[in-house]
Amino acid sequence: MKTRDRWSVWAWRLGILLVFLGAWEYLTGIKAISKTPGLYWIDPFFISRPSVIAQRFLFLTSDKVRLTIWQMALSTIQSTLWGFLVGITTGFAAGLVLGRSDRIARIFDPFIVAFNSLPRIALVPLITMIFGFGLLAKIVLAWSIVFFIVFFNTFQGARSVDADLIHSARFLGAGDGQVMRTVIVPSTLAWTFASLTPSISFALIGVVVGEFIGGESGGGLGYLIIQSLGTLNAADMMVALVVLGAIGIVMALGIRQIESRLLRWRPEYQKR
Amino acid sequence: MARVRIAIRDLSKTFTAGPREVPAVSRVSFDVHDKEFVAIVGPSGCGKSTILNMIGSLIAPSGGEILVDGERVGLRAGPQVGYVFQKDTVFPWRTVAQNIALGLQYRGVATAEIRSRVTEAVSLAGLEGFEDAFPATLSGGMRQRVALMRSLVVNPEILLMDEPFGALDTHTKLNLHAELLGIWGARHQTVVFVTHDLSEAITLADRIVVMTRRPGRVKQVYDVKLPRPRDVIRLRETAEYLREYGEIWHALGEEFQERV
Repeated sequence: MKTRDRWSVWAWRLGILLVFLGAWEYLTGIKAISKTPGLYWIDPFFISRPSVIAQRFLFLTSDKVRLTIWQMALSTIQSTLWGFLVGITTGFAAGLVLGRSDRIARIFDPFIVAFNSLPRIALVPLITMIFGFGLLAKIVLAWSIVFFIVFFNTFQGARSVDADLIHSARFLGAGDGQVMRTVIVPSTLAWTFASLTPSISFALIGVVVGEFIGGESGGGLGYLIIQSLGTLNAADMMVALVVLGAIGIVMALGIRQIESRLLRWRPEYQKR
Repeated sequence: MARVRIAIRDLSKTFTAGPREVPAVSRVSFDVHDKEFVAIVGPSGCGKSTILNMIGSLIAPSGGEILVDGERVGLRAGPQVGYVFQKDTVFPWRTVAQNIALGLQYRGVATAEIRSRVTEAVSLAGLEGFEDAFPATLSGGMRQRVALMRSLVVNPEILLMDEPFGALDTHTKLNLHAELLGIWGARHQTVVFVTHDLSEAITLADRIVVMTRRPGRVKQVYDVKLPRPRDVIRLRETAEYLREYGEIWHALGEEFQERV
């Protein structure tokens, strides 16, 4: 992309954001009936206002609060990354083993389908009971979602390894371990990577839902949201949502970086 | 006559497609001698690739046997056998140099030696400057060169080639014929080369096994009496070439015609 194009794309993005925030601020300031308190065209009670959200954000970063927004964000990020990492490693390993062994795949198939079709949110109370109110419960929850996403992708990838590539390796003298390392794993990784971006989003969902009922210890942004519901504080919810959005963007960008580095052999990542 | 390296005896293969049994190869027998370049030609579906797959023990025969160096072909091909597929089997996640190095790495060759042998192979294939390129950036001809070099760098004594240049344009094909003949002239591997392109077979081979249409049997075996070294382009204008071509084409043509 040319530098000028890039600038204009960024200018458009900034423009859209400013118009959105401006409209929000403006519309939530118009009274429905003049001089009558409490009645707005769009009531800031429910969706707050950008200026108020900014104030609350600053307040939540100050030392006047017991738990700053940074501490909460850190807690959410930690649980998410751990759940994500454990989820992709176990999901990849399981997908590879089951993808390469018809017999094991047949044996485990009903268990996997059954467990995967359970809505994970229904497990939150149980997981909290078992693993307590700390980070561990959130990590387990994120793992239980990420594992299956990565597993199914890896499984498909491991099954669709080109048999002729394996034959070629054999003719070149490869043993079983070498075929695994130089053909099956690299070939499968391309499929696994496709599942990483959705995985990180789902890991975040799992963690936030866990935090909803997780209480203050190990409380992250999900805790702030549910606490704000209790006090009917839309501004604090918005602060939590904005920070969650920012975390989501940074993580997705990070994954895209790693992906384009490790999959640089693919045509779509070749420098044009 | 040189010793027999590949002996094919009464070889048959029947595929099962649902309830139907489809005979692909029927009672084929021929020998391939040491340092000999044998081409198998025939109409598509005549089982010529199936025969090659059985020699390379990629599929098991339904009847008869194959002996490679006196040993019956089992579940896995011996280390002296190399195979070049028609399909692009260059590993897309490895660079040109890394692809060519594969066989040497599998065999535990020392890194310094791998480097020098890969460099040699790269220059032999005319791929200088592309060592660190990924296959996705190469043309089909270059990728097939990489595949060929990857098989040759481990010095296989027997090379099985399944229509390796089938997907290439004529010009690229002729270049690769010249290169293959050059390499073969230096090392004299025993080659079994499957193709449906008669001119390719005549250009390259010492002997040509002509197959019938399905189920494939050996129709006739021809000796190609053209002198070596052969110039892949000039050869086609010589009277000997045209005579060989006419003779074999006649036999092959019958097989193609009966199909219609």
